[in-house]
Amino acid sequence: MLRPVEMSRVVVAGSNKVLEPLIEKLHELNLLHVVNYSGADDAFNMGKPLGTASGYAEQLIRLRSIERYLDISDKMPDKQFPESQVLSQMDGILGSVGDDVIATAERVAEIDNEVKIKQDQAKVLKPLAGLPLDLELLYGYNSLAAYVGTVASPVEADVSRISYVNEVFTASTGKTNAVAVFVPVEKAGEVSGVLAEHGFSEISVPRGPTGSIAGAISTLESDAKRLEGDKAPLQKNLKEIRAQHEDLILAIDEHLSIKSQKAESPLRFASTDNAFVIDGWLPTDQYETLKRELESAAGGRVQVETLDGSEADKLVETGEDIPTKLNNPGIVRPYELITRLFAIPEYKEFDPTLPIFIFFPLMFGLILGDVAYGLIILIMMFMLKRKFRTPGWQSLINIVIIASIWAIIFGFIFGEIFGPMGLWDYIFSGAHHAGILGTVADPHHVGTAFGEGFYGRLGRVGPEIGSFAGGVFPMYRLATASVLVLIGVSLFIGVVHTGIGSILGVKNELAYGEKRHAYFERLPVLLFQVFFGLGLLGLIVGGLSHPLVLLSALVVVISIIMMVKGPEGVMGATHIPFFVSNLISYLRLLAIGLASVGVAFAANQLAFYVLMPMLSGGEGKPLTTIAIVVGIVVLIVVHFINLLLGILSPFMHPLRLHYVEMFTKFYSAHGGGVEYSPFGRVRRFLRD
Amino acid sequence: MVVETITDGGVLYGLLAVGAGLATGLAGIGAGVGEQGIGAAVVGVVAEEPGFLGKGLFLMLLPETLIIFGLAVSLILMFAWKPFA
Repeated sequence: MLRPVEMSRVVVAGSNKVLEPLIEKLHELNLLHVVNYSGADDAFNMGKPLGTASGYAEQLIRLRSIERYLDISDKMPDKQFPESQVLSQMDGILGSVGDDVIATAERVAEIDNEVKIKQDQAKVLKPLAGLPLDLELLYGYNSLAAYVGTVASPVEADVSRISYVNEVFTASTGKTNAVAVFVPVEKAGEVSGVLAEHGFSEISVPRGPTGSIAGAISTLESDAKRLEGDKAPLQKNLKEIRAQHEDLILAIDEHLSIKSQKAESPLRFASTDNAFVIDGWLPTDQYETLKRELESAAGGRVQVETLDGSEADKLVETGEDIPTKLNNPGIVRPYELITRLFAIPEYKEFDPTLPIFIFFPLMFGLILGDVAYGLIILIMMFMLKRKFRTPGWQSLINIVIIASIWAIIFGFIFGEIFGPMGLWDYIFSGAHHAGILGTVADPHHVGTAFGEGFYGRLGRVGPEIGSFAGGVFPMYRLATASVLVLIGVSLFIGVVHTGIGSILGVKNELAYGEKRHAYFERLPVLLFQVFFGLGLLGLIVGGLSHPLVLLSALVVVISIIMMVKGPEGVMGATHIPFFVSNLISYLRLLAIGLASVGVAFAANQLAFYVLMPMLSGGEGKPLTTIAIVVGIVVLIVVHFINLLLGILSPFMHPLRLHYVEMFTKFYSAHGGGVEYSPFGRVRRFLRD
Repeated sequence: MVVETITDGGVLYGLLAVGAGLATGLAGIGAGVGEQGIGAAVVGVVAEEPGFLGKGLFLMLLPETLIIFGLAVSLILMFAWKPFA
């Protein structure tokens, strides 16, 4: 589980005569991760694509353009089609249906364009609407200069002063003053200067429409409306085609993609005039299957060999990557998403998915820790699971489902249903808490200070109840003693979590043969963090002279000396603050949780002990309707916001604890790996 | 009056609470200032290269530990340290 699947290097060589059946078989088996031939060897050329390749590519291009016009994108299949049906209907889809789609879609685009032009023209003409002139009179003169536009102040007087011969028309609509000024061409320069002084801004009159300006505007607008009306049935037509053929089109896409993938595959192989060689990796336990199947497909005219370890190592040294196939049981698999988001592990590295599966939901639960919030998230995720069916979403949803179950468990430990000291007490210990609706004997005693309440300043975890462990359940997180306990728990999780990271780090370095890095870089970090944690524990329990403190101090000093002796020398010891901050960073498990408990607590206090009594006219009075309504609205709004934050931050912060605190101890130190992606394709829309 | 309050620990507890608040608050501002530049850069990189998201997140979240330091100090001030008990 912690290691990727074991891989073997395979060489397949054979005569070009059997290339096609072999490609068919390889594709069907979906086993071999093909290593592309680099062209480095003089004796071999790159293979040539099969003759059918260009035909499939053309069909695929046409299909993709149909998909684009119909707005079809990849999705999970609702229907599946047998290959024969795809073949018989393909010509129809690519031919007449495709022509119809493309013609319709192009007509829609044309209409959109025309509508836009008409709307723009109407918009341009709007300010001129009041001018008593027909549109065709506004342009097209030889001896007259025409100025049409808007001005800030009246221009008649100034224009007359410059040019005795003139014609000025004005119209005001609202704040804009439209003018049309006509003067002899020879006065044009001076007049335009004067107009500029009056804030003239020219409107270029559209050439198409004629007649009165107001009439033209209304014609343009009604035209645009009519065109929009024409567009609707076309779009409906496209929608119908899409609804009818969506899955079939995607099935054809899959069929053509497979065909073209096969036809182009020889480009990845090394070949001579008469033979070919295919290099690749596959899971070791699948080698016999591959060999048997390929030999039977090629009638024995093919050679399948596996390289032994040292030969494969030599190839790896020259820069070939061994593909990584993660190997996790079903319930852990969703968490591969978190691993992938960071990087795929290298073949020789540990796969961190299992520790993530253990710690991530635990941390999420510890932070959120509320029965009601956990249940709501759980139900929400089950609803989303049916809606979002792509693998990525499914993984994410499964991650949150497992995490929210932990949140419910911790909710019971913390005694929280929609925050502490609210519904929990009402449901599980009615004796104290008829008080939830404000009828408790001494409501003022509740929540006047954080951690102060029914259980005294120390809460349940504390001397008021009896011995330290006696009253642990439920432990109200806001109580002082709980905070202290949770600090300890957080740091403990930190020591274990980073410790596991460090152990994996040591083993990783050993796997790469880097003994010095393993024992003098990774191991001291493990010792340092574990004994730093133990030392803190000793300090709290027994003070400076506690034997645990002395022992820890000794080991910490030894680990620092080891770091200095390590590959980085004295620089190795400069990372110490980072390791200390790694541990302190785990306090966020407590801190983020406290923040969300605080908000929930405040919401409950505000609604039950402030707003509702106030609106009912004082404490102890029966609640009025408005008090109940306002109280419930406040509760819903605040808890809803808190819940949204309560999904986001308990997700992000454990993510960070894994990426920053844990992964830095072992992961990706040698760069990311290459994912195992065998030659072949999982059929989704096609059925055998 | 004043003397009484001080021996009572009231004002000093108040100051303690103010100090705790400052510790968390100022650390938060510091973390925010640190993250703004990194965040902008990460968004830029991810826009070009979506595969960088995980590593970008890693860098983005590094300064966040600062605020936890502040919080640790606050917790010690509020809960663990009892100077006037």
